[in-house]
Amino acid sequence: MQVFIAQVINGLSLGSIYVLLATGFNLLLLVAMIIHFAYPQVVVFSMYIAWVVLRYTGNSIVLAVLAAILSSVLLNVISAPLFQKIMKNREEVDINTTMVMSLGIGMIITDILSHGFNKGLPIAFPPKLVGETPILRVGLISLMGGQVASLAVGVIAVSGIFLLLYKTRPGRAFRAIAEDPNGARLVGIPLLRTGLESYALSGILGGLIAVLLAMLLGYSSPGLGEQVAHKVLAVSIIAGLGNLAGGLVVGLALGIMEALVQGYISGSWSNAIAFVVMLLVILFRPRGLFGIKL
Amino acid sequence: MSLAMYYFLTISAIYILMSWALYLPYRVAHLHFLTVANMLISGYLAGYLVQSLGFAFALALVAGFVAGGLVGYIVSLFIGDAPTFTVVIVGFTFIYISRTAVENIKAVGATMGMFGLPMVAGTPNMHRLTILILVYALIVVVGFLIYRFEHSRVGRAASVVFVDKDLATSMGVDIKKLGRLVQTFSSLIAGGCGVIYGFIYRSYHLDFFTFHLVGIFMTVIFVGGYTTMWGSLLAAPALYGLSLILPPAVASWRIVIYGAILIAVLVLKPEGFITRRLAYTLETTLSRWRKR
Repeated sequence: MQVFIAQVINGLSLGSIYVLLATGFNLLLLVAMIIHFAYPQVVVFSMYIAWVVLRYTGNSIVLAVLAAILSSVLLNVISAPLFQKIMKNREEVDINTTMVMSLGIGMIITDILSHGFNKGLPIAFPPKLVGETPILRVGLISLMGGQVASLAVGVIAVSGIFLLLYKTRPGRAFRAIAEDPNGARLVGIPLLRTGLESYALSGILGGLIAVLLAMLLGYSSPGLGEQVAHKVLAVSIIAGLGNLAGGLVVGLALGIMEALVQGYISGSWSNAIAFVVMLLVILFRPRGLFGIKL
Repeated sequence: MSLAMYYFLTISAIYILMSWALYLPYRVAHLHFLTVANMLISGYLAGYLVQSLGFAFALALVAGFVAGGLVGYIVSLFIGDAPTFTVVIVGFTFIYISRTAVENIKAVGATMGMFGLPMVAGTPNMHRLTILILVYALIVVVGFLIYRFEHSRVGRAASVVFVDKDLATSMGVDIKKLGRLVQTFSSLIAGGCGVIYGFIYRSYHLDFFTFHLVGIFMTVIFVGGYTTMWGSLLAAPALYGLSLILPPAVASWRIVIYGAILIAVLVLKPEGFITRRLAYTLETTLSRWRKR
């Protein structure tokens, strides 16, 4: 029973990261109309930036968090004109081409991380960030600082985004664009500026996720982005593309399922089992469990 | 022939075939990355059959084609008419699952891989020549089949599906059936490529089948031009050759270079270098010249 509880706690914290990533991903999908497959790679890049800042500032966590957020926002906003140009070229919203473009961006980021940082070897974050001792330990159940932080920030950030989307004017603008871009333009919503705001917002979210992921895992590697990217896209598809509430449920469920599989099955088969379950859901319900909101 | 030239010719050929394997389903707007998983599955299967069970290479190659086609067909039953992003995620999932499976199966060398595969012909030179002839014969056959497909009613139906699925349905095109057909054929090609790919190096390792491979094939197809089959013929040797002629320090950044080229082409030449219009102009000019 203790193993079960411990793994559920692990799963909840991991799931909250998936939820945050899926939220940022869906935000870009809904407002900017792009499948930003490289969004998790942007997050992993920000983890590396945080690691560099930690190394050269004597483990200043505040500066590392700021650097992670800044790099994530910058990468997102810099890529915005490229996506906009593709849309303009085709004179229509072409989600598939944006996905190809994003895969290209992902290739570049992953390779830069493979060559430009720590000789391509995985990086380890200092104990000051990760936390040396558990906050709480009862038998096999231990609660680390990273787990509490990821859960807390996850809840706050997702609630904040839901509030922003459903209770504020900018949020209404976001949703209007998602519902009908031409209609939104007619009622005076600036599409370009609102789109850029969504890039910046998902960038801020990306920076926060980078720090949380660093706290939770304690390490990063160039290939982490690809692995996470795949899971985030899977969460979004299983939930239904653009479905924020669905992403919340599926992200947490995937985190818990993965942790339980890891807890009870040895070897690297655990990852495959999680992927098989994901695959079955995708194959039998290609439009998602909660419906596509595009 | 030098070893470098042999590798250039064979790997370029594999890139051409694999980008065609991606190109074909993309005619119905499917990015079918399952093909890389097909390469892996068929390659390891053939390696096991030859090395552990003593099968002849030809038989293992046939098994590779069959395995690729079979996996492709079964998966296509579910995603024959799925949206592009679903096809993408299914492809990536299969890559992860098959990689994890190989990692854990000792019979195929697990993380160590399979080394010292037997030669397909008596001497090293004959081995290379056989592989070279085989892979280029395959290009001719697959190229001919794709060319015939493009100039058939089914090929035109695929073009309509790419532009507008609703229009295609109202014109009586069975989107699911068409999707299954192109996905199965592309997986079949990929299965054969996987077998040959390993026998070029006479070894199989998980590092051969990474996401970089997906990136390379995608770059070939989009840089060459995704609206015709001819783009891949030019882009594959050009892109692979580029990494060979660059100084080693720069060549190690080839994925960054490929990614940058891919993005630049998507932004500046959205249809790639060989567009449908250009291919049509060349074809008509050629036929006029032939008549004279």
